[in-house]
Amino acid sequence: MAEFVKYIDVTKCDGCRACMVACKNWNDLPAEHTDFLGSVQSHTKTTADTWNVLQYIEHENSKGGLEYLFRHSSCFHCTDAACQKVCPESAISYTDFGSVVIDQDKCVGCGYCVQNCPFEVISLKEYKDKNGETYRKSHKCTMCTDRLEEGLQPACVTTCHTGAMEFGKKDEMIRKAEKRVSEIRGRFPNTMVYNPPGVGGTHTVYVLAERPSVYGLPENPKVPTSAVVWKDYAQPIGKMMLGATTMAVVAGFVSNKLFNKGGHGHGEEGGEDYE
Amino acid sequence: MEKREEKIMSRKKPTKYVKRFSTAFVIAHAVNAFSFFALYVTALPMYTEFFDWLYPVLGGPANARFLHRIFAVTFVTPTIIYLLFDRKGFFFWMKQLITWKKRDMDFFTEFVKEFFGAKAKPPKQGFFNAGEKINSMIQIVTAVLIIGSGVTMWFPEYFPRELVQFGYLLHNIGFGLAIAVVVGHIYLSILHPGSSPAFRGVIKGDVDVEFVKAHYRDWYDELVQQGVIVPDDKKKPKGA
Repeated sequence: MAEFVKYIDVTKCDGCRACMVACKNWNDLPAEHTDFLGSVQSHTKTTADTWNVLQYIEHENSKGGLEYLFRHSSCFHCTDAACQKVCPESAISYTDFGSVVIDQDKCVGCGYCVQNCPFEVISLKEYKDKNGETYRKSHKCTMCTDRLEEGLQPACVTTCHTGAMEFGKKDEMIRKAEKRVSEIRGRFPNTMVYNPPGVGGTHTVYVLAERPSVYGLPENPKVPTSAVVWKDYAQPIGKMMLGATTMAVVAGFVSNKLFNKGGHGHGEEGGEDYE
Repeated sequence: MEKREEKIMSRKKPTKYVKRFSTAFVIAHAVNAFSFFALYVTALPMYTEFFDWLYPVLGGPANARFLHRIFAVTFVTPTIIYLLFDRKGFFFWMKQLITWKKRDMDFFTEFVKEFFGAKAKPPKQGFFNAGEKINSMIQIVTAVLIIGSGVTMWFPEYFPRELVQFGYLLHNIGFGLAIAVVVGHIYLSILHPGSSPAFRGVIKGDVDVEFVKAHYRDWYDELVQQGVIVPDDKKKPKGA
């Protein structure tokens, strides 16, 4: 199956927040009480119950003029997803569409994904079971994978009335983004396609009007080096070491049974050792 | 006839013990061992999905995390216990760890022979043999790694994100190294035919004098010099 990409042209967004409402609606996410943040923005960032947040940024451009920038922010669905790498329960997986999804039945609420996501879009939600015990589950945007499976597009894309969002085949969307960037460079000199290679590219591709840092995005996001060393080296080597010492101990035990029936080495002249 | 009786007598002479570890050390060691394994078991399903069946046994993932934090606290106490109740012993241990002589270096080749049950002649060893010193050092380093990174994992909100991310790695390295070494440590103390008499040392605090003579000759000689041990051949004339 061809991979799909959610294309977002922030320069066409008018900040109506219909994408936020559509997401809450389709995914049955409860409203969250939030305090006034000093702007029209409703939430500081994505949460376990708010999978996409519209950012409102007041930015001073290079000519000293005010830019009022909007950005639909949600999961990037990385090709190399750090969350998937660090999940100890294999609860996070890639779908054929290219989206990254969390299996709520497998999630144990450890929060490794929350801490390792380069874009900080994952959050834990606390629940109470029937005995009153609390447990946690990790949540984020699913790219409406349940809709994709039915041949529908993500709820946010469907509802967008300015054409700022589109959903389509990866190559097509990336070409579209590059074309758009060349069109608007005169108006936005710092415009760029945000499809960071450090995470193997993403399945939410942006046309940004300004540098990523203006939107609070990392300029060069990547799977944390610590996560790579941890999961690709430390853990397998650790398991091998435990296996190796266990084998040595078993070998030592067997050879002592075979060759050292009397338990020698305890003599006057020699000595024996232990740790 | 008389000669034979004496031979039998000398073989079955009553075991004498000499003090090796203080009560504070014995308790600290026991708390450390118990906490280590409790921590290992409560985190095992996080380490490998093969042990996911432990989640229900531990009362669910949330409860496993809760237990892991309780044992995390007890895991920190042995150092405090040792320092508080046997400061002298603690610093003696530290001093031993940084004291390395030729005898310690020579230890390892003979150790390998001994480990697999071959006849070996390890050089005379001090209060701690070289293997024990290495074990101590690895356990100290890994404990620092595990505890330090554990704090960042427990309270991520107080630390920079990069540090928390590195915490996961260091926690993994720390306990991976520790558990690999612990397997050998426990085997040598409980199962290995030659060294198992040492086990009494960390349970009751004293060890067989003959065992000390064979395994820690330098320490034995010190004890004789101090008059703590009176060798048999000094008590009665040699030969029969």
